[in-house]
Amino acid sequence: MVSSRVIRNLKKEFRQSGLAKLGLALVVLILLTAVFAPFIAPHNPTDQQLDQSELPPIGFSETSERTSSQMVDGEIQTVTEEVEVTADPDHVFGTDGLGRDMFSRVVYGARTSLVVGVLGTVLAASIGVPVGLLAGYHRGRVDDALMRIADVSLAFPSLVLAVALIGLWGRAAVNVPDPFVVAGLAPEMPESFVLPITVVIVVGLVNWVWFARVARGEALSLRGQEYVKASRALGADDNTIILRHVLPNAITPIIVLGTVQVAAIILLESSLSFLGFSGTTLSWGFDIAQGRDYVSSGQWWIASIPGLAIMLSVIGINLLGDWLRDALDPGIEGEGGAA
Amino acid sequence: MSDAERTVAGESAASDGVPVDDAAPSGTPAVDDVLSVRDLSTRFFTEEGQINAVESVSFDLREDEILGVVGESGSGKSVTALSLVDLVETPGRITAGEVWYRDADLAEEFRGDDAVRVDGDHVDLRTVPPSVRRSLRGPSFSVIFQDPMSSFNPSITVGEQIAEAVEVQRRARANPRSTRSRTQGYGLGKLLLDGIVPGRDYTSEESMERAVELLGQVGIPDPEERVDEYPGQFSGGMLQRAMIAQALAGEPDVLIADEPTTALDVTIQAQILNLLKEIQADRGMSIVLITHDLGVIAEMCDRVCVMYAGEIVERGTLDSVFEDTVHPYTQGLLGSIPDVDDPRARLEPIAGNVPSLVDAEMDDRCYFADRCPKAMEACLDKPPEATVDAAADHGAKCVLADREYDPADALPDDYFGEAGEAADPDDGAATDGGEGE
Repeated sequence: MVSSRVIRNLKKEFRQSGLAKLGLALVVLILLTAVFAPFIAPHNPTDQQLDQSELPPIGFSETSERTSSQMVDGEIQTVTEEVEVTADPDHVFGTDGLGRDMFSRVVYGARTSLVVGVLGTVLAASIGVPVGLLAGYHRGRVDDALMRIADVSLAFPSLVLAVALIGLWGRAAVNVPDPFVVAGLAPEMPESFVLPITVVIVVGLVNWVWFARVARGEALSLRGQEYVKASRALGADDNTIILRHVLPNAITPIIVLGTVQVAAIILLESSLSFLGFSGTTLSWGFDIAQGRDYVSSGQWWIASIPGLAIMLSVIGINLLGDWLRDALDPGIEGEGGAA
Repeated sequence: MSDAERTVAGESAASDGVPVDDAAPSGTPAVDDVLSVRDLSTRFFTEEGQINAVESVSFDLREDEILGVVGESGSGKSVTALSLVDLVETPGRITAGEVWYRDADLAEEFRGDDAVRVDGDHVDLRTVPPSVRRSLRGPSFSVIFQDPMSSFNPSITVGEQIAEAVEVQRRARANPRSTRSRTQGYGLGKLLLDGIVPGRDYTSEESMERAVELLGQVGIPDPEERVDEYPGQFSGGMLQRAMIAQALAGEPDVLIADEPTTALDVTIQAQILNLLKEIQADRGMSIVLITHDLGVIAEMCDRVCVMYAGEIVERGTLDSVFEDTVHPYTQGLLGSIPDVDDPRARLEPIAGNVPSLVDAEMDDRCYFADRCPKAMEACLDKPPEATVDAAADHGAKCVLADREYDPADALPDDYFGEAGEAADPDDGAATDGGEGE
């Protein structure tokens, strides 16, 4: 429940914590980037300009020695030549092996990451929270059955499970028209955003367990509350009690978990894309996989820039989660509690 | 005393100064009984073993009366109350007994249903489907709990919570006897939104108005303003009033008050008790008042049940129990009350502790024998059952129900070994003197 006390705690915690400010700034930055990607990206992220491939980011122009094997007079020889690679101000973060603008790709990658992260979390929560609440509230056999299923899913490495599920279902993706482009505001940009629907479903199915466990724990402690007993004594049925008295009082840890889960799912999505199991090619993980081969030959930015983007977004979201936890759960830090 | 004599003892109770009303034999509820409980047993199945929290309890609740249930902590009072409304939590379970509730409509509905026991206007609630039992909470039974502070959800306003009780009944009436009536016609989705979206109200305008009205009726000043306050902004006494308002929302026939004043200070206690009395007089409902405070019983009740170790050991009208006390336990409870007129008089606490209710550890003898100052050899067998007939005006589950105590029969002081040590008054004071406060 969002009460004035909660808002006061949030503000107080925010003022005191530099990390909270950093986290919020990062998350807002990523959010804006994702939403307004067509205006922020200078190039179409899928346009290939082969004559401009492998350009370094600005500030990293250099002359390097390039060794290659060539046929000279009928013999294979190793030739070393000096190549000058100059950064193009048009491509701030350089270009990849096919001459696609890295900056535009990172900007669009934010969309995929965030959409999958948020939708995956929503799906995981909408499976896990009801399961956990029902299990914790009713206890007994329902609880045993549901929690054993949860334990089994926890015992599986999530990446392996995700890969197995995608292998089973294939890589379906949905083209969602980009409203900005459709409206003609950014004509050069891709007309639609590719939503890797299987990935969303899979990450949701892999991560519901966390929500189930948290929700169950809360329900277990709340069901023993006198006011739950009182409500039952006054004739309320189980559904009413769960939704009126259990869920609202359990929502805080669920929200905190949800934030952290967005970050975890972004990582999982990147891993899946890296392994080639995503349904979209506009993804940070996909770009890392593309750039991996270039790292040894000196084009570090193709893999590192999307890697940096993943890192910053995950750190940002986790810091945000910490801030919410500290502000919403006064039990953890004594001073935060307005007992 | 021989075994043969003891068997006769119970049957002859009526002629021996403790009258027993034979007109209503146990098993069939009398017409003016709102509630007739017969041989109700509730057990808890824990890892330590089976705990007999309520052991074959029988009593009647008449129309417009306040029935007191008194006993030490752990005597099974609260579990009895929860058993009446079928709110015993696992690992507890009602294992036996009948709860006859008078409701002509309900009786009509289930007459001819083989699974449901019906007797005249009375229905045995132990046999009706769970959904029907639940639908009776509110309009038939309401419960007031001991601790008002924790009986309200701290994150919802008091008014909302009273209105919720009103709303539940309103929806139930709109959709009577439907298993899912309380969520039907409202929608799980809407309920979900109300739960998590701030500023959305679960309750309707009418229910809120009724909540204001109810708060006014239980004596809360400025009810229009106080409905919007949170439980934390109420004092304990105010919250107890609010809880009574909540319990009245369904206009119940039977109000079960489980230690309604224990968590309150003495002046507030008196106010709450007066309020309960007024409400009982105004609305003509029956109240089961559970308390460990004999003073409260004396002030409030028409009839009393004294509970010990899960059993009713003595029952009767207030006067008969207080004046013609039969059971040494009741005498002990009465002896634990300080006498204002004689401040120098020593309190006489009951020695020892409430016995373990774990089935395996319980003996066949009278459960009170090892603490009883009048224990005799006859107490080492099962105490007479017949003398605690539910319909009787006065009865006690004690061999003394039908004979005078003769000190010559007493068992030697150290008969019960360790219990004999506890007979030292200084030890006993900690256990029972406290209860009588």
